[in-house]
Amino acid sequence: MKNSKRKTGFIAACVTPAVVLFILFMIVPTIDVFRMSMYKWGGYTADKTFVGLDNFKKLFQSDKFYQAFQNNILLIVVVTIITFSLAIIFAAILSREKIKGQNFFRIVFYIPNILSVVVISAIFSAIYDPNQGLLNTFLALFKGGTLENPILWLGGKDIVIYSIAIAMIWQAIGYYMVMYMASMANIPESLYESAALEGAGRLKQFFSITLPLIWTNIRTTLTFFIISTINMSFLMVKAMTNGGPNGASNVFLSYMYQEAYTNSSYGYGMSIGVMVFLFSFALAAILNAVTKREEIEF
Amino acid sequence: MKMKRVLSVALAMTMVAGLSACGGGAKETGSTKSEDGTVLKVAAVETAYGADMWKEVCAAFEKSHDGVKVDLTIDKKLEDIITPEMKSGEYPDVIMRAVGAESGLTETFVKDNNMVDLSDVLTTTVPGEDITVGDKILPGFVDNTITNPYGDGKTYLMPMFYGPCGLFYDAGLFEEKNWTVPTTWDEMWELGDKAKAEGISLFTYPTAGYFDAFFYALLHESMGSEKFTEALKYGEGIWDTPEAQTTFDIIAKLASYTESTTPANANDNDYRKNQQLILDDKALFMPNGNWVIGEMADAPRADGFKWGFTALPAVADGGERASYSFFEQVWMPKSAENQDLGKEFIAYLYTDEAAEIFAGSGAIQPIEGMTDKLDGDNKLYYSIYDDGAVAVMDAFATTDAVEGVTTRATFFDPVNSLVSGDETKEEWIEQIKKDSDALRNALK
Repeated sequence: MKNSKRKTGFIAACVTPAVVLFILFMIVPTIDVFRMSMYKWGGYTADKTFVGLDNFKKLFQSDKFYQAFQNNILLIVVVTIITFSLAIIFAAILSREKIKGQNFFRIVFYIPNILSVVVISAIFSAIYDPNQGLLNTFLALFKGGTLENPILWLGGKDIVIYSIAIAMIWQAIGYYMVMYMASMANIPESLYESAALEGAGRLKQFFSITLPLIWTNIRTTLTFFIISTINMSFLMVKAMTNGGPNGASNVFLSYMYQEAYTNSSYGYGMSIGVMVFLFSFALAAILNAVTKREEIEF
Repeated sequence: MKMKRVLSVALAMTMVAGLSACGGGAKETGSTKSEDGTVLKVAAVETAYGADMWKEVCAAFEKSHDGVKVDLTIDKKLEDIITPEMKSGEYPDVIMRAVGAESGLTETFVKDNNMVDLSDVLTTTVPGEDITVGDKILPGFVDNTITNPYGDGKTYLMPMFYGPCGLFYDAGLFEEKNWTVPTTWDEMWELGDKAKAEGISLFTYPTAGYFDAFFYALLHESMGSEKFTEALKYGEGIWDTPEAQTTFDIIAKLASYTESTTPANANDNDYRKNQQLILDDKALFMPNGNWVIGEMADAPRADGFKWGFTALPAVADGGERASYSFFEQVWMPKSAENQDLGKEFIAYLYTDEAAEIFAGSGAIQPIEGMTDKLDGDNKLYYSIYDDGAVAVMDAFATTDAVEGVTTRATFFDPVNSLVSGDETKEEWIEQIKKDSDALRNALK
């Protein structure tokens, strides 16, 4: 009895610091975001006006918010699907196949991850440049010389979001590829050997052995990736287009930033923050439920 | 045993204490009193004019005021430095930051009624001189919607460095081709067609944000002072008037004459590529301010390139030609601790001594006699008003914050879409009308 009480006390003492810090730096600010979303406040003065759910009402009537919402969902879907497919395929090739310069490719794929977002956006701005950019001059080759109407990768309302998606995919593939390669390396070679003896081809091996056995890893990284895409899309947009042209590339957080820090509407910005918070939570929960499979172990 | 428990609790407590010390930050509470006098906190944004002139002026102010120490914060990203401090309750006494900046710092203070009334600075005598500040400042600079944001006759923001905005072009190219600079928009379109035949576009712009000065000047040209004032207050039905339609027509037509890749580079990172189009003789005109010369000083340029600068062409033959006068503002937040000293400092900024230091770096204040002292390139830009161009200085009236609506996103950003063809003129006007309704209801 005495012993277990002492044990509880000890555990409590051990976790207190972490709990206190967590409450102080995570829970309190989060509650604060929710609280501030109900005020009309410029961000600098002491006087705030309580407006209840007014900010949310305006938010749901705002085309700009829906546009940012749409862009974000598009980025989440497109970037996630392409990044994950490519990362898994590259990882499978690099870890299962014997090709020359494996390490070289691994490094090449990983390099974008070391670069900062600002550098990446500078690289892609140069690639996308309508007159001297890599992409348009390459396309011009097929049209013989010069482009009549150069494609405005960062200037067209419909194309700009895909241009940003490409930069995000390029940046993310290497990191996830290395992660999957690590978990693929753990799969015992004997499984592949026996599968080969049974007559399973490379593709069959991939879908029946590799994929199921790294599924737990994919699941974890997927949730993680989708949440980080929300953040990453803000950084990319901020550095490359700042929401332009004419708001066509705005995402959740860039719109929130504009409202909170440049339109003197801090409270409204926080209501966007609340929506992002709820959206991310819901998305993570849905993903978790949808990707749930029986765990296979080797 | 008990000893052990006490020890573990103590250790845990030390951990908490240790960590929270990290979180608490080591910010020293800023005292406003130095050992032997008062400390005036001045925050200024560093622009193309550089930081040295501010350091010199502050030093000169310290010299003329015994026991006063000026604590100067100057940075290109001023907001990033002073905002965290302001959130923790430490405000600079004097801030130099113009409206129209992306951060909207100045606008936020205006919207929150969070500024010190500086009307009495105008009646103060300039230190060491026998003229009041108000009399020394050029007419028009302290009775516009920017300096008197609430329209109550009180001045809250004081005008600092100014510069005419207009259309920049390569004067060398015009000489070479024997073209004349258009004085009306009709001549402009004619020139546009002529240039097009030679593979040169008529127009480009750095970013859509540069349309503010352009739009105000054009609006003034086509509407005249009275309706212009009404438009700036989002007057009901004002955008349906024929004068307003003329303005929209001209901008829409100009969009069709704009270099087609402009929108792709019209962002904060790549706008110099658009400015480069002028230097490369790929486009004829761009709206800009005189800072562009410094900004593009190291850029390669076409042979025989020479900066040229003109006011906007007139809407009709013999009509008014306007040029927007961009000026920066200095102001004091309400929470400033040394308000009297701050006002003294602002008055000092208008002394000949200070003006000379500023002018040394090319920063010109709107005070009597300054333009006479100019030479070289600067003379060209500031003499634009001597040649008959009307100076326009106002901006859209101050409103309470309207969530989701900014004048930039409503009025200027759509120009990108007009050029790329993603939006029509009608859609643009529709948006302007809708947002004007919202802004009108929030007018101060």
